[in-house]
Amino acid sequence: MEYGNAAIVFVVVFVVLAVLGLAFAGLYWLNKTVDGSAT
Amino acid sequence: MHLIPQSWAHWHILLSVFPSVGLLFVLGFYLTGLVVHNDLMQRSCLVVFAGLGLLAIPTYLSGDFTMAALSNDARISADLMASHFLWGMVGLAAVAITGGAAIVALWRSRGLGRLSPPALHLIVALALLTLALMVVAGELGWQVNHHELRLNATAQQTPQAWSHAHMILNHLPTVGFVFALGFYITGLVSSDVVTQRASLVVFVLCALLGVPTYVTGAASMWALTDPGVVGISKPVINAHRDMALVTVFGLAFTGVTAWIELWRFRHLGRFSRPVLYLILGFAIITFAVMAETGHRGGQINHPEILIATDASTADPKAGATRAIELLINHVIWFVPWQTVHFFGFSLIFGTALVVSLRVLGFWKSVSFAAVHRLLPLGVLGVVMNVFSGMLILLADSSRYLNAPTFAPKIALIVIGAAAVLYFSLSERLWKVSAGEDAPAGAKWVAALVLISWTGVIMGGRLISYI
Repeated sequence: MEYGNAAIVFVVVFVVLAVLGLAFAGLYWLNKTVDGSAT
Repeated sequence: MHLIPQSWAHWHILLSVFPSVGLLFVLGFYLTGLVVHNDLMQRSCLVVFAGLGLLAIPTYLSGDFTMAALSNDARISADLMASHFLWGMVGLAAVAITGGAAIVALWRSRGLGRLSPPALHLIVALALLTLALMVVAGELGWQVNHHELRLNATAQQTPQAWSHAHMILNHLPTVGFVFALGFYITGLVSSDVVTQRASLVVFVLCALLGVPTYVTGAASMWALTDPGVVGISKPVINAHRDMALVTVFGLAFTGVTAWIELWRFRHLGRFSRPVLYLILGFAIITFAVMAETGHRGGQINHPEILIATDASTADPKAGATRAIELLINHVIWFVPWQTVHFFGFSLIFGTALVVSLRVLGFWKSVSFAAVHRLLPLGVLGVVMNVFSGMLILLADSSRYLNAPTFAPKIALIVIGAAAVLYFSLSERLWKVSAGEDAPAGAKWVAALVLISWTGVIMGGRLISYI
């Protein structure tokens, strides 16, 4: 099956944003849990 | 899966890994207990040493009955079996003596009110000797059944060394996980923080070891099927690798959650009880999945343990892994995950560079505890790359696995990630405040981390070109 460049770019942007979005949301929460510590 | 083995060979395969591979992990916990002077961990290990000593009896008996059952099998070398029997006997005798010494040490502590240090050190020596004997006995044991290891190397596209490595490696995360789970539950019941921390470390190590285990398993598939080896069935391999994929996810969930709690412990000075129980839940599920994976893996090359209910599909193209292989070969799925892989490397290397350079003496105005907060960024990168890397591998595993830089890359991932654990465990490093120099040992670890991750990236990039 052939895919056009636009489709490939769309999926690349979608997957990267989804992975990084999830990852950094998790990281934000994780950092909040230790924000009260002395460090 | 049949939970109760139906043959002596199956019993022997199952039991023999505990006094051998299991001993390695108990020894690790025991040495930790000695170094940190934790009485509970020392006593727990002595009880387990005693248990392993007792396990020598059924291991011997099942081995003896297996020998009798296989003595007429033309494919089994009588000489190899005799060598395995001899070394196995010596190894099991050493396990029994170590177990006996552990029982005596525990018994004497009742009168003394404490464990005797000379007795504890004697048990270390006995366990190390036993481990060395078990390595020889185990290797000879594998040689008895695994004829593929003696195939003509020139006729093989994928070397059988991968199968050999997989055979050794797959026992580490599986058996290690059993002992980590046992010690973890002990730590939870007794609320002993040292035992909890040590078990979490082993969960992380098992997760890391899951990476080379999966990779060597993928390579073994090619070594056993291209060209095919008599008696090896592709559908049985597919059933095993589908379950192995689930196991990798289970190990990742358990290992990452365990690492996060170790990291949080550094900053908060305590564990979160709900998170500890969450890790327990992940670990129990992973253990169940891993048991099934191991069982299916054993069936690949042990026709003697198969029973009628183990019959699987005859279709060599069935299975979830095969479906993922087909999917990821489409450019529209390959390129996004390759892009994620590059983001992952950026996160890993950036974090490793900043934290390691602080340890090596850069930016002394910042305390180590401050840069330690950055570590989850790097671990995030590792998670992204293990997931995306596995998908990329499945796209063309034969080519990747036979590239000369692939095996070093995988080895360096484990070394680099395991070394990062030190940053969350070292008490001396944690106390390095602003303006202070890190201990010399920590600097060596920081250098190892940097060298390892540099090697991982270079090894990965060179795959396509040499």
